[in-house]
Amino acid sequence: MAVTEPRAATPTFGDVNRDVVATLRTPGNLYFAWMCVIGLLLAAFLAAWTYQIYIGMGAAGKRAPQMWAMYITTFVFWIGIGHAGTLISAVLYLFRARWRTSIYRAAEAMTIFAVMTAGLFPLIHAGRMWFAYFLLPYPNQRYLWPNFRSPLVWDVFAISTYLSVSTIFFIVGLIPDIAALRDASTGWRRRIYAMLSLGWEGSDDQWRPYRRAYGLFAALATPLVLSVHSVVSWDFAMALVPGWHSTLFAPFFVDGAIFSGFAMVAVLVIPMRYFFGLHAYVTDRHLDYMAKLILVTGLVLTYFYVCELFTAWYSGDHFEKASLFWKVTKNYAWALWTMYFCNCVAPLIFFWKRARTSVPIIYAVSILVLIGMWFERFNIIVPSLAHGFYPYTWGIYKPSATDTMIVVGSFAFFFLLFLGFIRVMPSLSIVEVKETLPPPMKERHGHGHP
Amino acid sequence: MNRRDFFKIVTTVGATAATAGCQEAGEKILPLVVPSDQLVPGVASWFSTVCRECPAGCGVIAKNRDGRVVKLEGNPDHPVNRGALCGRGQAALQHLYHPDRFTGPQRRDGNALKSLGWDEALNTVSDRLSQARGGGKGKAVALVTQLENGSLGTLLDRWTQALGTRPRVTYEPFGHEAQRAANRAVFGRDAIPYHAFEDAEVVVSFGADFLETWVSNVGYARGFGRMHAFREGKAGTFIHVEPRQSLTAANADEWVRNAPGTEALVALAVLKMLADGGAIDKRFADAAGALDVKKAAEEAGVEAEQLKHIAEALAKAKPALVVGGGAAVTGSNAVALHTAVALLNSALGAVGKTVRFGPDAAYGRVTPYAEVAALVQAMANGEIDVLVIGAGINPGFTLPGGLKFADAVKKVGLVVSFANRPDETTALAHLVLPDTHWLESWGDYSPRGGVIGLMQPTMLPVRDARAFGDVMLTVGRAALGITEEGKGPLPWASVEAYVKTTWEPVVKDQWSAALQHGGVWRDTPAAALAPKVGAVAGGAPKLDGDASGLTLLAYPSFRFYDGRGAGSSWLQEVPDTITQAAWDAWVEVPADVAAKQGIANGDVVRVTSPHGSLEAPAYVSSSLHPRAVAIPMGHRYAPYHVRGGRYVTATSTPTNPMALLPATPEPGGGTSYLAVRVTLTKTGARRPLAILQGTHDQEDREIARHVDLPAAREQALRGKREEHPDYSMYPPQQYPGYRWGMSVDIDACIGCQACTVACIAENNVPIVGKAQAAYGRQAHWLRVERWAEGKAEHAHNTFLPMFCQHCEVAPCEPVCPVFAAYRTDEGLNGQVYNRCVGTRYCGNNCPYHVRRFNWFNYEFPSPLDVQLNPEVTVRQLGVMEKCTMCVQRIVAGKDRARDEKRAVKDGDIQTACQQTCPTNAITFGNLKDPQSTVSKHRHAARAYDVLDEIGTRPSVTYLKKVTRGGGGHDTKPPARGGHA
Repeated sequence: MAVTEPRAATPTFGDVNRDVVATLRTPGNLYFAWMCVIGLLLAAFLAAWTYQIYIGMGAAGKRAPQMWAMYITTFVFWIGIGHAGTLISAVLYLFRARWRTSIYRAAEAMTIFAVMTAGLFPLIHAGRMWFAYFLLPYPNQRYLWPNFRSPLVWDVFAISTYLSVSTIFFIVGLIPDIAALRDASTGWRRRIYAMLSLGWEGSDDQWRPYRRAYGLFAALATPLVLSVHSVVSWDFAMALVPGWHSTLFAPFFVDGAIFSGFAMVAVLVIPMRYFFGLHAYVTDRHLDYMAKLILVTGLVLTYFYVCELFTAWYSGDHFEKASLFWKVTKNYAWALWTMYFCNCVAPLIFFWKRARTSVPIIYAVSILVLIGMWFERFNIIVPSLAHGFYPYTWGIYKPSATDTMIVVGSFAFFFLLFLGFIRVMPSLSIVEVKETLPPPMKERHGHGHP
Repeated sequence: MNRRDFFKIVTTVGATAATAGCQEAGEKILPLVVPSDQLVPGVASWFSTVCRECPAGCGVIAKNRDGRVVKLEGNPDHPVNRGALCGRGQAALQHLYHPDRFTGPQRRDGNALKSLGWDEALNTVSDRLSQARGGGKGKAVALVTQLENGSLGTLLDRWTQALGTRPRVTYEPFGHEAQRAANRAVFGRDAIPYHAFEDAEVVVSFGADFLETWVSNVGYARGFGRMHAFREGKAGTFIHVEPRQSLTAANADEWVRNAPGTEALVALAVLKMLADGGAIDKRFADAAGALDVKKAAEEAGVEAEQLKHIAEALAKAKPALVVGGGAAVTGSNAVALHTAVALLNSALGAVGKTVRFGPDAAYGRVTPYAEVAALVQAMANGEIDVLVIGAGINPGFTLPGGLKFADAVKKVGLVVSFANRPDETTALAHLVLPDTHWLESWGDYSPRGGVIGLMQPTMLPVRDARAFGDVMLTVGRAALGITEEGKGPLPWASVEAYVKTTWEPVVKDQWSAALQHGGVWRDTPAAALAPKVGAVAGGAPKLDGDASGLTLLAYPSFRFYDGRGAGSSWLQEVPDTITQAAWDAWVEVPADVAAKQGIANGDVVRVTSPHGSLEAPAYVSSSLHPRAVAIPMGHRYAPYHVRGGRYVTATSTPTNPMALLPATPEPGGGTSYLAVRVTLTKTGARRPLAILQGTHDQEDREIARHVDLPAAREQALRGKREEHPDYSMYPPQQYPGYRWGMSVDIDACIGCQACTVACIAENNVPIVGKAQAAYGRQAHWLRVERWAEGKAEHAHNTFLPMFCQHCEVAPCEPVCPVFAAYRTDEGLNGQVYNRCVGTRYCGNNCPYHVRRFNWFNYEFPSPLDVQLNPEVTVRQLGVMEKCTMCVQRIVAGKDRARDEKRAVKDGDIQTACQQTCPTNAITFGNLKDPQSTVSKHRHAARAYDVLDEIGTRPSVTYLKKVTRGGGGHDTKPPARGGHA
């Protein structure tokens, strides 16, 4: 395997306990400063949302023909981010890719928080969010059911299933670690951890069903990786709008989601490693793998882009061709070309091994990928709607302060959850990292892997 | 009486009242607290009256629900409009319920108006009048009113005689004085004849905007529709000569763009060609004298070929009709133009056939502008002590800037205005005595000879107002020193009493029937008149201003007339069909000039003439004559703005081209509208226009299709539309009862926007304000689109009313997660507001983009909310809405039919848009009935579905426009004209 050896010496079981527990110590000023910034952004987010509920959707920059705009863009973006976590934890688990152990916890947390953030957007987006429960199939006197032909109802099921399965999977994975924290802590913290650890003692008769359950959830979560974003993509593919109505969308969206998800994992894990000094666990080898995955998914994405262009041209469909030509050359061309650069060109640097091991380059490319993927959704939604079937209504969407604030605020919401999490829960799986280490022997162990 | 009986009685009474149609008005309009036999809660009564939004005098029936008028419709029996109404007529309700209406008499206090009591106000006037009378200065009292040729007019004339004042001045900004002068000269008749468009085969118009404001736009549009729209192989031809592509020009089969002011020359050249060609009597050639056709064509900037074509078309026509002289082309040669037109009509044998003297238009009674100008001069000289200005007119806005009316008024001791809303004239008045709105008034009005419409109050006054005539009677008697009614020269208690007195001998005991009918009409025979042919000097008009400047074309806006309609936010938000601009006024700048001066759409330009200047945003036009600038009149006053869903006080940005015009009348005595050259300067400021249509180019989408006349004829003979089988995995939808559908004949549509306004009125469509409308958030359920083809400077326009297509395979329905958008088993695409969550998915997926979202809670500022149709939900913030095919009317129609134990017949139900259409372009009916008009249209050879290739299977069928291959300009045959 052409991977660099970890620079740090292989840690021992004791090191793992010490290092992980260290992440839970009272944080420094920098952390609180960040939390303040996030708190302010979140307050602005809440203010903007309250204003929008009060005054109406007109507060956001939507119009005819862009009845959907930045909210759905950001919704799909976050759903996409929520993909890599399950992919890393479940799929790589089933394939026994051991390198996942040191990053999967952070990735899973990212998944759940990203899906939670995404889950806000359908509410933010709805004209009468107070009636959003109409989308749930609840028994009522009027015998009214949601319309099961509507992709939005599929979304409700797909996302709630995904969120519940990944949450359970996440919690199951946490149990032995929480027990370890319980043993390492005192006072009220200990009592809370004791409650959350569900009486975990680490006995053999606990481990055996635990392993089986974990494997089962991993198997359950794996198809969801494909299904959720496929379903989300059908919000568009099932519609008539030129630029949306395409069978390409499901694989296209899934691949894009994984692509952006890995970028987000890199964006989160690299600072974590730096601030918590986790170089021994999150090694350059991990970064190298992630960079490779970004490269591969990026290349696949480029292929899809080419397919999209080709089918629009080859179909001979007047509306598709006009829509595409307009997107590439007119008002929103800057967004389209930004997307092509970020998603197709920028990751190509990972063909060079030096780039794959350079933290600044990985970080920069990951940020670009996130920007590119946000714009991908933007380009699907806004310019397609701007140049639909009916020329009378063609028009340009302008973001307003309200929807910009809400979109920015969603990042604050995500980071609030994530930064909070890494301070109260082990962001590195104690148990699974230990599994990859050589068992402690009486005599001093040699270097390298077993 | 048990509950069951109660309901039986209510429904029976309701059905009777509803089917009875126009109801007789009671002696008194009863407030709701007093129970009335006539007033059944929830059932509308209809009162007939006469629309007074312009002097055309269309018959109107007002729908009164629970004591409040909620909708106006044309009176189907009235000979002028036969049920149709223009947008201005539809929007009259907004003036009735206008939030700015005065709450009582007002007195000037510095710059502001302060309220005072009626007694005090009336005393002020009567004291002043008796002073003037006592001092022997009766002639220092002047009375100016709008065109009142009925009882009110004669009553006021008696008033002026009784008080010994100056004779009453009837002021109308568009008085057609030049036409009268020409008819005087040619036929010896000071009148404006009735133009029977419906009987003509070929119509040639020299600048007459008869589809917009000219004389009687609804009646003439109706006539034009019957003459021009393709029906059973027949279709008339219409040629229009004007420097600007007006709405009327855009409807022409051939629009000839002449140089500004050369209409008379063109008309004479045509006359000469006809005479030389032997098509008409040689003696008519005398009128043209030694005119050289080639030179005339050169001077007019048109090709001789085009003139020849006009002459040929006229020569062939049996009969022809020539009309001329809209306000925009009325200059110092207007009489010459009208003389040429009169001679053409005479020569072609149209007089007595399509030009009928006898049923003369009311306009003939207007006091010529020259006399108004003389009165203003007298005011400036301090000769006038009391000036009484009636309701409806706004001389402070509509008189030419050169006349300096505002300065002259300052010399008048007491200026009394009867306007019921603030305007530019009340701003100059000392006393305002608000008149009742015409929907609250008694009266009568004769739009043309033989037709007298009766006016009755359709509801109690909304505000504390008194009828103009009543007040004049009171102050007149007081000034004469008579304290009792019934005595002296003005004995009547009210206008109502006077109207009844004058009508007594006419109708005898048929008063109620006449009132219900809307008036009395009889045929007036057309007089046979011999023309007097004399030489006509068709030279260029005299233009003030810099010789290098651009000629100003000031034209009346078809939405606002002279500014009377500008108080309506409905009309403000409905776009001008040609520019598709709503709310703001604009200066139409020719593309060449704009390019030279670097002017773009929305750049504020200053327009300067020797008499004044104004600033307005530019609209760059490729079709306007390069030596002209056009500004619409009547953009006066933004009634109310809504910002962020909130009502905010009016911001007035008046743009008044009248300010640029000279005082000098044209030789016929009318206002000279074509009289100045102006210069344009870019100010650097920007005020982008709210243009609702994204592009006029359909980019080969075949939205508005056309077929040329021979092909249309051939197809009509062949009979059937080419039907394509529908491929579907699903079984076809079943319609157990009716299946509703509509059809739109885009060959008949003239783009007048009446349907849009009617839809707003019927369906409680909110008004969103300029900024929101500009940002694609207008809430109209129906829009009239203009699609242009061919060369930009000479575009062929097609108007296409677009609204929910009620698709059989509706893209909006499956995507709605909650079944708010659903399909009814009568073929409607329903929308349940209560169920709508506002995901707006349907709005994205609708290929026609006809779904409207409530971005805010839109306000209906009080008392405009009183107008809301109680049968239609007012939508809340966050829900989607769209055209329902007036489902409330469908339900009512089905109820009526059920009460009569029969099925709904064709014509039982009319949608609001269909009802008001002057050209019958819109049809509604049952698609399952093969005999219904809508079914026949659906299977007609011209039928097509908009965007049919998507497979939505709309319930709305469009009928292709029929293009007449005209000579003169290069008509490009439709490249993708459907299956033609």
